[in-house]
Amino acid sequence: MSKIITLREAALLVRPGDILALGGMTLYRRPVAFVRELLRQRVGELTLLELTGGFESDLLVGAGLVRRVRTCYFGLETFGLAPMFTRLAGSGGLEVIEETEATIAFGLRATLAGVGFMPGQGLLGTDILAVRPDIELVTCPYTKRQLVAFPALRPDVAVVHCQIADRNGNARLLGNKAIDRDIALTANRMVLTAERIVDSPADLGGEIDLLGARVTAVVEAPGGAKPTSCFPLYPLGSLEILDYVLACQREDFAGYLERFLGSD
Amino acid sequence: MTADYTVSDLMASCIAHQVDDGDVVVQGIATPLVMAAYLLAKRTHARNIIFASAIGNAICSDWAPLSLSGIEDIWVGKALRQLTFPEIVCEYLPTLKPKEFLRPAQIDPFGNTNNVAIGDYHRPRLRLPGCGGIADVTTYYDELYFYVPRHGRATFVKRLDFKSGLGVSPGGPGAAAKGRYLVSDLGTFDFSGGRLRLVTCHPGVTPESIQAKTGFPLAIAPDLKETPAPTTEELRLLRQELDPLDIRSIECLSGPARWARLREIANLELSSGTSLRGGLKPWTWIIYRR
Repeated sequence: MSKIITLREAALLVRPGDILALGGMTLYRRPVAFVRELLRQRVGELTLLELTGGFESDLLVGAGLVRRVRTCYFGLETFGLAPMFTRLAGSGGLEVIEETEATIAFGLRATLAGVGFMPGQGLLGTDILAVRPDIELVTCPYTKRQLVAFPALRPDVAVVHCQIADRNGNARLLGNKAIDRDIALTANRMVLTAERIVDSPADLGGEIDLLGARVTAVVEAPGGAKPTSCFPLYPLGSLEILDYVLACQREDFAGYLERFLGSD
Repeated sequence: MTADYTVSDLMASCIAHQVDDGDVVVQGIATPLVMAAYLLAKRTHARNIIFASAIGNAICSDWAPLSLSGIEDIWVGKALRQLTFPEIVCEYLPTLKPKEFLRPAQIDPFGNTNNVAIGDYHRPRLRLPGCGGIADVTTYYDELYFYVPRHGRATFVKRLDFKSGLGVSPGGPGAAAKGRYLVSDLGTFDFSGGRLRLVTCHPGVTPESIQAKTGFPLAIAPDLKETPAPTTEELRLLRQELDPLDIRSIECLSGPARWARLREIANLELSSGTSLRGGLKPWTWIIYRR
């Protein structure tokens, strides 16, 4: 069965108000082509769920399409702060649900296991618990030790960019694997964009990371992660990221966004 | 500092000396200085260390030179095994309790840290990127290591605006965490007696000038010494083999100087074609076959 559709059709799978999980991390293998289409269609009121937020996440935030973010790091690595996240989260224009690696990882694992929480270590003694009143503690019934009951986390829709996929959505991830397998398995709708689409799983050349059975739609998008990287096909576009930082520095986010939307 | 090495060379040397052979060391997000130091340890006294990297989500024993645009090469291209991030967070970190150098935006005398927000949490003067996994691992790591590339009163504070990392916290919940070591661009420190204590001053730096840039009274070791300079061999390795583009120094820069340096490095990598240093792996023909 072929699930191949266009980018424009795929963006319709995201509805206003959705919890949107983006694959990859920070500046690596991000679904940038898909986000460009979302920006064109102006799907808003989103909750952005990511391991780490980066370039395209900052564009969504700057364009006013994001109501809240759930991530444990939102920035541009060595290139510095993510300008629009920093500005809007600082001025109260963006709700931040303070996540850590564990709240995201255990939260997705709870959903994978079909339970409401997953116990684990972390957070105790920090101020994170004070700003996350939804997180409860539990006592281990065996050791009586106090643990964190990380609440289950489920995206409405997940979008992952991969190097190679078949027409049914079986896919290989050749770089950072991030939380992609976990958001792909837990999301109600799942969009895969791929550098290359092959006819059958036999043509994938190795073991898959993502299971086609959980994939709603597959879109061919060569170069679809640029200017973020897609290891080993293309490296991070450092100059492009720097251009973005400097555009925001001179208060030209709107101009940058217009140029970004005009490019493919 | 008059010697012919930079403060980032010195800090890389200091960090490398904290790495023991056989350690599992963690590479975080945006920490090229630490990466240079780990490579230096690997190429000198600690050949058997294993890297666990947030960038690349991988475990590696081999190494490659630092790169800005091709940063994944070293981690993904040379992975012993690639992991999913939940595998790292839920399984490997709690089990291995690796050695990791954390860079706090704020740190108090006890080694508690803040990487979330400066000022009031709900209306911050500066919203920071977030703490990553620091609020998790500091509750169960046995020892904590820190580095601060730009020592100042904004970083070394009496009281944190937000506690997103657990340092020495006597009697508190999850109190196993303990500060062990901190290196800044001015000196090195331990947490002897449970409080940050100056142990060595970098060459040309006085304890008075460090105190002036620290927002709380510093304890000072009775046998205060000068930080040993990097050796000729360490400098040769850093400059010629491990990090010839001097990416490690970016962390010591800010603002326009940092952007200019980033542009310079990115252009150098583009013109030399080294941004995908490892080249294409054998299996990539599958993707290019059309």
